[in-house]
Amino acid sequence: MDSFATSILSQPYILRSILAIILIAINASVTGSFTIFRNVSFLVAGASHAALAGAALAIVLGMYGIINLNPIVGGAIFAVFTALAAGYAAKDEGINTAIAISFAMSMSLAILFISMIREYAARVWGLLMGDLFLLTDYDLVLMTISTLFVIIVAIIFYREFLFVSFDMEGALAYGINATFVNYLLLTIIAISVVVMLKGVGAILVFAMFVAPAAAANEVARKISDVFILAFIIAALSGFFGIFVSFYAEISPGAIAALLASLIYFLSVAFKKFQKFQKIG
Amino acid sequence: MKPIVVKDVEFSYNGERILENVSFSVDEGEFVAIMGPNGSGKTTLLKLILGLLKPKRGKIEVLNLNPWESREKIQNYIGFMPQKEHISSKFPILVKDVVLLGKAARKKFSKLTKDDEEKAKEALRAVGLEDYWLKRFNELSGGQQQRVLLARALAVEPKILLLDEPFNGVDIPSQDKIVELMDELARKGVTIMMVVHNINPLLHHIHKIVLLNKRLIAFGSPFEVLTAEKMVETYGSSIPIIVCEEGYAHPLFGDTHG
Repeated sequence: MDSFATSILSQPYILRSILAIILIAINASVTGSFTIFRNVSFLVAGASHAALAGAALAIVLGMYGIINLNPIVGGAIFAVFTALAAGYAAKDEGINTAIAISFAMSMSLAILFISMIREYAARVWGLLMGDLFLLTDYDLVLMTISTLFVIIVAIIFYREFLFVSFDMEGALAYGINATFVNYLLLTIIAISVVVMLKGVGAILVFAMFVAPAAAANEVARKISDVFILAFIIAALSGFFGIFVSFYAEISPGAIAALLASLIYFLSVAFKKFQKFQKIG
Repeated sequence: MKPIVVKDVEFSYNGERILENVSFSVDEGEFVAIMGPNGSGKTTLLKLILGLLKPKRGKIEVLNLNPWESREKIQNYIGFMPQKEHISSKFPILVKDVVLLGKAARKKFSKLTKDDEEKAKEALRAVGLEDYWLKRFNELSGGQQQRVLLARALAVEPKILLLDEPFNGVDIPSQDKIVELMDELARKGVTIMMVVHNINPLLHHIHKIVLLNKRLIAFGSPFEVLTAEKMVETYGSSIPIIVCEEGYAHPLFGDTHG
């Protein structure tokens, strides 16, 4: 325990991973909860894989000297575009169908672009797996800025997001520009997903982003509890991941995602048990 | 001034004609039911009145204004209750938050006052759920949830109330409570339009019926509208009708054996 505590201060990569977990937990709480409320969990998978395509495209463009774009920024642009396209297509079809199609399209593009940049492909695959211990100061600055943006938007539009998540038709009828609010909500969810990508990767982001809020939603008595509990679950899972991986040299993201998913299943079981007791 | 005037309205979506040639007008304090089979354009008609859709042809006036052009203005006077199927009750939103959502949206989400909260509580009292203020919406029965949504519509103190199938999945006590309340509101001058599948629970309380199947089949008092011929024209098959002691013709839909 002592060596871990000492390392926090002496090893910058541990300190960075702890800061990243706090930022990830904030995103899992704020936008993760709205993802559950709006019932668009699948968007997280869609946006994260779209980000891979965006990152790969940014590298392709850089390689040919067309434009020098940070792969994460390229990823964010693609993720937001996917979210907006899914929101638009969902007017006629269910949103999950639209997301599934965008998901498939993004992965095709990602593989296509990666095949064009074989020598840099590892940078993109890095986003697929993610690594909390490989984050740079620059990554943390980007994560902090986008997290602040997401928090500010969520605070300003809190009630609108809630209304649209609860009842889209009612929101329109009571004078809310529900189409804009819906797109804005999908946009900040996509941005949040990209924030987490370098830390936990496109595969595990789903667990770290959706599971804490979903678990909190099962047991919370009111909306504010969902936000608080989702933050606690995401942060605890993340810290536990870092702690275990410090000793066992295994992926901290995987441990964190595993724990967050387990907590979700436990909370579902707890809720069922509570219901059963009530009926009994 | 008639609060709702619909004249020669036509509406199409994706090339399919949803409504054509619909004309009627509603007086202040009238309680009107909209009836018709699935896909007959009932909800579309409510959305046109709300200004959420633009008619392809014809004219709609709500409180003397064109709802499509003056949506924001007319929405200030309308309380709307959507179909419960469109509501997501998967998260722990409290009853008080649901009732206050409409009010908050009307105020462009500026700070709610004590008075707003009082109005919301009063609306909840009107639907008989005053003790449910701090309960979770998703823990209520279907009927109670409908009543909370009705309270949300009432909390904005509407001049016009538009209700889309408020009886879906609703227990008899909730149904009676809603009808009783509509009666009282209509007497106070609130104009009410309600989409219903089964007219029977409110037949003795409504003033007029809009019978719809993509076009206006009939508009008038229940005595004028609920005839065997018009029901065949609307639903495509004959629907048994029983006349009660008060002289009202009760159509017996599918599940009822006379």
